[in-house]
Amino acid sequence: MQHLLDVSLFNSMIRMVAPILLAALGGAICSRVGLFNVGLEGFVLVGAFSAIVGNFYTGNVYVAVLIAIAVTMLFSLIFAYMSIHLQANVIVVGISFNFLALGLTAFCLKAIFHVKGAFYDKNMIGLPKLNIPIIQDIPVIGGIISGHSPLVYLAFVLVFGLQFFLFKSVLGFRLIAVGENPVAAKSIGIKVSRMQYLAVLICGLLCGLAGAQLSLGQVTMFTEGMTAGRGFIALVATMLGQANPIGVMASSLLFGLMDAFSIRLQGFSLPTHFTQMLPYVVTLLAMLFFRKSNYLADAQKANGSSR
Amino acid sequence: MLKRKWPISAWIQPLLAVLIGLTGGAIAIVLIGGSVADTYAQMWKGAFGNFYFFTNTLTRATPLILVGLGVSIAFRAGFFNMGSEGQMILGALSSALLALYLPGPPLLKLLVAIIGGIVAGGIWSAFAGWLDAKFRMNLIITTLLLNYIAALFAGYMVAYPLKDKTGSAALAQTMMVDKAVWLPKLFQGMSIHAGFIIAIGLAILLYLFIKYTVAGYEIRMLGYNPLFAAYGGVNRRKMMLTSMFVSGGFAGLAGAVEVLGMQYRYTDGMISNPGYAWSGIMATLLSGAHPLGTAVAAVLLAALQTGGMGVERNTNIPLEISSVIQSLLILFVTAKFSYTLWKRRKGGKSDAASS
Repeated sequence: MQHLLDVSLFNSMIRMVAPILLAALGGAICSRVGLFNVGLEGFVLVGAFSAIVGNFYTGNVYVAVLIAIAVTMLFSLIFAYMSIHLQANVIVVGISFNFLALGLTAFCLKAIFHVKGAFYDKNMIGLPKLNIPIIQDIPVIGGIISGHSPLVYLAFVLVFGLQFFLFKSVLGFRLIAVGENPVAAKSIGIKVSRMQYLAVLICGLLCGLAGAQLSLGQVTMFTEGMTAGRGFIALVATMLGQANPIGVMASSLLFGLMDAFSIRLQGFSLPTHFTQMLPYVVTLLAMLFFRKSNYLADAQKANGSSR
Repeated sequence: MLKRKWPISAWIQPLLAVLIGLTGGAIAIVLIGGSVADTYAQMWKGAFGNFYFFTNTLTRATPLILVGLGVSIAFRAGFFNMGSEGQMILGALSSALLALYLPGPPLLKLLVAIIGGIVAGGIWSAFAGWLDAKFRMNLIITTLLLNYIAALFAGYMVAYPLKDKTGSAALAQTMMVDKAVWLPKLFQGMSIHAGFIIAIGLAILLYLFIKYTVAGYEIRMLGYNPLFAAYGGVNRRKMMLTSMFVSGGFAGLAGAVEVLGMQYRYTDGMISNPGYAWSGIMATLLSGAHPLGTAVAAVLLAALQTGGMGVERNTNIPLEISSVIQSLLILFVTAKFSYTLWKRRKGGKSDAASS
């Protein structure tokens, strides 16, 4: 057992959690304004791809992150236009965005890099690993917390930033008001659709970061469908955390741990099929145990998801 | 999305969506420096160019029709069944195993293999329905997660215990099903098989069922207005379990038909890689869950895909162009733009931009 639980496991948990956490925060913002965003998976995929494109052409990893953010926000703008302005069913739009992202990235991969499946270039440099001066010298904690990409730290900072934004700022209150009762919000002069656009754009920004962390954070490459369900796991994290940034962080950490576990378990001569199954099974179990949330029921009522 | 009552608008919506999809595809083609007319001509040729290509398109449409019909039942009852892929995989795996290891005369084997596929897909789907009915777990998420679990489980089964060790060791697949248990081909030398007849027959039956039977009416009522349905005495829980079972059963049948009519074995990734299940779901979305419309939409989507292969063979445009067109098509099909345009033209400018 001591081979299973050690410093590097928790270190990789922190690293794995970042994309899920960022996307889940985006999902939380969307849920707050009453849009159940099933398209997170597609958003993250677009972010991951544009980050690689940006990195390849500019050679600067930070410009690449900015490009990823810009492209994903543009993508999310279409999502907002479709679901807010054209009043298409949010869930159908979300699902088709996942398809679109998958098709578009595969198409562009072929069109831009002339490869199929995956793109890797040894000249590309990924995000640097930051060692935090004092903390890195503390025995166990240093090994866990230090040495991550800047986006990982940003993700955790954003949790508290968003918590403050939602529950302490005027704009945040307006955002929540729109989600809780659009009619009442409208009656006191809040521009409902403008708030919804804002939320979707923030979601696009966060998913762009998530994608950048996914493709530039560790391996610096892009593979078709490399999100592999992380967007959906982020969606569950959003629901389990009841769209509350700190709650979302807690549930994301659980999934990050499972992600890290599943990779670790492969060293134990178990068939990889079962270790890869772990995050999905745990997600299902988590849904089973933490299902008491009135918030979720409200979100579903508003958008007519499964019931 | 299923509540549209205007017959004209019901036709305008998909047609406009097709138009937007093709335009979006054209933009993508221009952007990477291809000729739009040439690409679309190749696409048409690849899908309908001659009898061989045409039957190829119909063969590809077969699983899409079946999956799409299954999803449309769930949609009609108001449930989003996103788990067709997992249901199809388990259906394919079980029918391959039954066809391989069950003793008995070939015809019986074929029948049992098909039924086994239906039951396997149905149970997997009803399980998600049960989780929702009993524990109120969101159906969209559970069905999605169950996809991954089914795919990994089937992958394990063919990589270890049931692996075909006679041929090349590289592929994770079961052994080949005995030739006597294959679904018959419709034409000599063409890929189209009896599964297509089954799919079309079921589309017609389902249309009649939803339109003319009491159970069909109850399903529609549940989807349109759950509260009214409950008031009218529809047992939502029972209805959810049955409609999810039937929905998954169709997906399982699609998997069984693909094994018994096309591949004759279960190979790892044979369902996921071509994206059969997702295209089937798209067909349902495109047609607004109309059974006959789903069949037409499935043929259209299959044509896009086989046409895409033609494009890749004969031009330097990648075949992914067809998935871009497909997703744009779906993206715009539920948008209310045609409806508002229509309404505005009819009712004057009084009710402009209500949101």
